[in-house]
Amino acid sequence: MRSREVTALLRKEFRELAGARAMLFVAAAIGPLVAHAYQTAVAAFAEASGAGGGAAALSQGLSPLDGIVAPTFGAYATAATLLFPFVAIRIVSAEKESGAHALALQAAPNAGVIVGIKFLALLGAWLLLWLPGLAALAFWHHAGGHLAAPETLGVLLGHLLRGALVSALGMACAAVTESGASAAVLALAVTIGGWALDFAATVQGGWVAEVARFTPDAALRTFERGEIDANIVAVTVLAVMMLLAVSSLWLDPARPRAVRRRRLALLAMMMLVGGPAAGRLRHSWDVSEDRRNSFDASDVRALGAITEPLHIEVHLGAADPRLADLERDVFRKLRRTVPRVSITYAAQTSTGLFEGAGRGYGEVWYELGGARVMSRSSVPAIVLETIYALAHITPPPPVAVAYPGYPARLNVPAWQLVFLLALWPLCVGGLYVVPRRITSS
Amino acid sequence: MQLDVLSLSRRFGAVQALRDVSFRATAGEIVGLIGPNGAGKSTLLACVAGLDAPDAGIVRIDGAEASAIARRHALFYLPDGIAPWADQSAAWVLDYAAALFGAREAWRDALAPALGLVPFASQRVGALSKGQRKRVLLALALLVPRAVTLIDEPFDGLDPRQARALSELLRERSAAGRTFVLSIHAMGEATRTCDRHVLLHDGRVLADGTLPALLQRAALPDDGGLEEVFLALT
Repeated sequence: MRSREVTALLRKEFRELAGARAMLFVAAAIGPLVAHAYQTAVAAFAEASGAGGGAAALSQGLSPLDGIVAPTFGAYATAATLLFPFVAIRIVSAEKESGAHALALQAAPNAGVIVGIKFLALLGAWLLLWLPGLAALAFWHHAGGHLAAPETLGVLLGHLLRGALVSALGMACAAVTESGASAAVLALAVTIGGWALDFAATVQGGWVAEVARFTPDAALRTFERGEIDANIVAVTVLAVMMLLAVSSLWLDPARPRAVRRRRLALLAMMMLVGGPAAGRLRHSWDVSEDRRNSFDASDVRALGAITEPLHIEVHLGAADPRLADLERDVFRKLRRTVPRVSITYAAQTSTGLFEGAGRGYGEVWYELGGARVMSRSSVPAIVLETIYALAHITPPPPVAVAYPGYPARLNVPAWQLVFLLALWPLCVGGLYVVPRRITSS
Repeated sequence: MQLDVLSLSRRFGAVQALRDVSFRATAGEIVGLIGPNGAGKSTLLACVAGLDAPDAGIVRIDGAEASAIARRHALFYLPDGIAPWADQSAAWVLDYAAALFGAREAWRDALAPALGLVPFASQRVGALSKGQRKRVLLALALLVPRAVTLIDEPFDGLDPRQARALSELLRERSAAGRTFVLSIHAMGEATRTCDRHVLLHDGRVLADGTLPALLQRAALPDDGGLEEVFLALT
């Protein structure tokens, strides 16, 4: 690859992005969005810590991951869903419509290089947009608030992947449609489709729930609870690569339609094969400081020693809160701990309210080494007791809770709000206007 | 560099835009693709440049068949009616093109005075008039160091003085060995600028040759023009 063309294209993309009104609007809007999210989060955290004079919550329940990091960066989830796709669409459709793409194609090694460079520029822009969010976290830390690096970085990784996915999606939508407006409609349709899938998963369960684990919102929630799941990272990266490949395919006008159709079919096949394969990756990392995604270390050791397959059959509907408790407190941790675990969701209805009593609704069957036992409990200690009994393992003694919690009765000073609400948008506006004045003078 | 276009065909749905089109351009030659609107001139240039996929036919460069990507890097094609990088200044666009394509000449030296770019070089491309934008893009095309340059409607939007200056500039560059293939619907400009003419009508080549050869083929007197040839052959 020739570095002269790549350098020129990359510099041009950054310049175009910096001067684009769509980017200016997103950059200016992100300050107030973060300001609102940060102020609300700090106030709620202070209240829970007893700032109002009432009783404070148990300190073990006061985690800055839930209380500060995730909600403050929640502003970026809004931006990624509703604003940034349009920046990504513009970077492709403006050049397609103006004829600039036809000129660039005659210098770049191929359309894929142009797509890659645009994608890199978008990722760079996405990271620059993080400045207000990172400033808010720095304010919190400076004021004495606690931050744990692994779980904070985990949330940032989630937002980085979200930005990459949104960028690739916006570019692909712009590549396959004739105009920016059509691309915007297509991108919104995909976003709404993701929401619909999330909703369907909560009432339907089964394969829909399995697929819905990888929607942008659901994937981000995994990072926000302090877990880095290899399958979510792999599926997201695969989706990004597929979307970029689609963009490259459509942005090369010299490819005959039949070739495009064949390659698109090939990409779809790769996604159909690679997606489920990536989705079956089992490794995950619990980066939360309170280790909420893991059993106690002694339980992890004991469960890890179970070599026989553990099969669980759940007769609970997808919308049943007991299943939600089991998923959060037991099944998710078991999947991370027991080497061979499989779970079958056997309920016939979503809530169980209208399911026949004779079908054993509410039962959870655990099967290990040919023995089978039923429990109706969703309490982790009781479920573990059941599994230990099946595996003929003596339950390890419980470990004392090590997480202290970090109550903090802090306020957001006015100067921090002024920075996020006014100074940041003013800086962005200045960066947009001043170079243009200099250029045109 | 010699460019051979052999039997190119291109269909858009029910419309056959190009039918078995062939022509040749040799080093230092200015070839005019002459035809009315809808004759297939722009489609032909895009196919030759590797920016559209013909349904049939091949393009050879110096005798060897060239793929679409090879053509994109050997030729340069300036489409008509484009307004690239509209938010940037004309000077920035030309500096960027020079960096991107590795231009060996500085556009401010010869091209800017010849095409009259100096008064509006610092203005945004999006704020330029049609003729000003055209001149910026013509400078861009001439800046790109490729042996063969394809330009769609180079005289469109230019006033007579500017058209004459461009014609002289193209003649000057072709004398230095550069080949131009120009799509033109204005017969007067074509006569003044081009060495040879390829007459296109309904996606077919009607005739190909110098003006005297075309006059002879159409059985017209020697003092006739390209317009009479075209009318006689269609």
